[in-house]
Amino acid sequence: MFFNSFHFAVFLPIVFILYWFVGHKSKINQNYILILASYYFYSCWDWRFLFLLVFSTLLDYVSAMKIEKSTTPSERKRWLWLCISINIGFLGIFKYYNFFAESFAEVLQSFGVKASPILLDLILPVGISFYTFHGLSYIIDIYYGRIKSEKNFVDYSLFVSYFPLLVAGPIERATHLLPQVKKRRKFSFNKAKEGVYQIVWGLVKKVVIADSCAIYANAVFDNYHSMNSLSLVLGAVYFAFQIYGDFSGYSDIALGTSKLFGIDLLKNFNYPYFSRDIAEFWRKWHISLTTWFRDYLYIPLGGSKGSKWLKVRNTFIIFLVSGFWHGASWTFIAWGFINALYFLPLLLLNRNRKNLEEFRLGLNFDSLRIVFNILITFGLTCLAWIFFRAKTITEAYQYIKRLFENGIFSEQYFAIERYNYELIPLVLVFVVAEWNSRTKTEPISGQYSWLKLSLCLAAILALGVFSDYKEFIYFQF
Amino acid sequence: MKQFLFFILKTLALLLLTMGLLDVLYTTVYLQSDSRTKIDYLYNSNNKDYDVVFLGSSRVNNHFVPKIFNDQGYKTFNFGITRSRLEESALMLKLMMERHYKIKTLILQVDLNINTNDHSEAIRSLFMPYLHQSQIIRDHYRSIPEYYELLYIPFYRYLHYDARVGFREMYASLVHKRTNNLDNDGFHPLESHGGKIIPADLSKYYPKKNVAYEEIKAICKANNIRLIAMTTPMCMSTINRDYFNHINSVYPEIYRFENAVTDDKYFSTCGHMNKAGAVAFTKVVFDAFFKPKAKP
Repeated sequence: MFFNSFHFAVFLPIVFILYWFVGHKSKINQNYILILASYYFYSCWDWRFLFLLVFSTLLDYVSAMKIEKSTTPSERKRWLWLCISINIGFLGIFKYYNFFAESFAEVLQSFGVKASPILLDLILPVGISFYTFHGLSYIIDIYYGRIKSEKNFVDYSLFVSYFPLLVAGPIERATHLLPQVKKRRKFSFNKAKEGVYQIVWGLVKKVVIADSCAIYANAVFDNYHSMNSLSLVLGAVYFAFQIYGDFSGYSDIALGTSKLFGIDLLKNFNYPYFSRDIAEFWRKWHISLTTWFRDYLYIPLGGSKGSKWLKVRNTFIIFLVSGFWHGASWTFIAWGFINALYFLPLLLLNRNRKNLEEFRLGLNFDSLRIVFNILITFGLTCLAWIFFRAKTITEAYQYIKRLFENGIFSEQYFAIERYNYELIPLVLVFVVAEWNSRTKTEPISGQYSWLKLSLCLAAILALGVFSDYKEFIYFQF
Repeated sequence: MKQFLFFILKTLALLLLTMGLLDVLYTTVYLQSDSRTKIDYLYNSNNKDYDVVFLGSSRVNNHFVPKIFNDQGYKTFNFGITRSRLEESALMLKLMMERHYKIKTLILQVDLNINTNDHSEAIRSLFMPYLHQSQIIRDHYRSIPEYYELLYIPFYRYLHYDARVGFREMYASLVHKRTNNLDNDGFHPLESHGGKIIPADLSKYYPKKNVAYEEIKAICKANNIRLIAMTTPMCMSTINRDYFNHINSVYPEIYRFENAVTDDKYFSTCGHMNKAGAVAFTKVVFDAFFKPKAKP
């Protein structure tokens, strides 16, 4: 059941009515309704994976209490590592086993040893990377004594399985979400209205921007060997907007949906393409994952303390792991590596926390410099996205090589009967809309909200892609 | 909560209103467009008088040259549409009758397309703008699963078929952007690609009774139209050319022209001839059915 499906359009109002009209009198009823709805939502993909989800929930729930009750540090550590190992083990089997087996066989073959690895024919359970990280953050917080373990299993299950965030995040923290599910939610008109606006804007991002860009980006990436330089540049730009529209659109729908139930989720995107350097980009892109890696990997490794070499090592680790988290492929690792390279100069020059403050543009040299920096950052990001989108590293390399060598910047007619430049006006309108609303969560609220809502609805209907349906990209992670 | 429910109702009303307005806008534009596709040309024309009309898929669109007939004094048009199947050809013919066309002879391509009773989504979508206006189109699609949604939910048909009749096509129609679909009286010539022709594989093709073909036969009989159903050329390297023999075991009346042009130099791909091939083939067909017989 996708957020942009008819199924979800029926499911959501039913859950909303049950939640606010049947279960509204107590927190217990509210939570039961949400947990049942969440399990139903998840089972719509494949009911068999519900067992995995429930097992993972039970494992973390029991491990947390065991850690808390442990009397010795070694016992605490034992429970922590047992829980982490099982969680990562599941992730490893479902998501990474085949990759490691194939890579190992390739290494052996390069030494002349013929190997035919045993591969598993497994479907990746949707959302496994997200709910595994959910559980891990909880367990690690318990271990370090940042929070107390949750005794109520229903409340804890809801923290892990809450349907708006279950399949593609944001990756929540127990410190943020658990206190909200532990008390009865009262209906707030303003919050619910904001939720509706955010859902509508998320749909604009998904069906208008991401899915339209996908048509053109696919046409370019699938035939890159016959594309000219302009098409290849545009292909990378279209993909940049496809992945942004897709994932931030999903996040907006998730956050908006959650607001309908009176629950706030962590913000996942903060207009990342208006970043002035790569460090700022990573503070604004997939925020819940970036902060997760910062808190549970980067800082435990020593973070930015210690020698320069240690900082560099930690930076590369966090970016490579982040890339690998996205999928079992060398292209994702390369994408992480390139971002680490981008980040390196800022780190070495101590400029990675330079652009923390918000900015305003005016008619001055400083504004020109900001715009230039934004464009450079966006360009670098697009270059890295080529690795993310390409099927292999060789393909990404050939794509970039052709982009720089071809030298033809003219219009090109694709086999899909469209010109390479056709989508530029739509992308520009979207950029302007995002720029004007970059201090808000969505552009609809405020003055003329009905007019803006009408325009968004008209855009979804008239410009949305419906027949060439695309799943959310991040569901595969 | 009451305030929120009222807000949702207003939003839904706004959504419905937007859908209604967009439906009116798109439909108005399509009803005034008659030069982008053969279907809009057909829908927006009336009382045409043709000696010969060609119907079928790309193997008609790229194979029959009306000029050869027209030069001999026959009024001819090629209504073949790439990707269309017999179901769409039947609807085209019904629409011609609704628009009071007078047709003496219909040349219908019946070869690869009787492998299936299925329809073409791409071509079906082109009929959707006229769903409310044409009784014939409504009747034709009455049995499809999403018929009531397409007919009664405003704008649903344009959402459902957005790739073909969505914003891009509506905008192109609005600004009267030209296509080459109607050039050369509907004939679209193909180029030769120069390379080796890759054989088509018909080993999974089985001719079967076709509902749409039966319908076309009935319409022709009822309207006194001479029906010439025929196969059209395929390259000689086609795998399982025996398929064409099976066609006659299902429909003996179908004329066999798959061998009318054989040399690879006349083909653009295995299933589609180039311009020279189309000219040669059309002459063969003309001579077979329309050339006055020499007196004994």
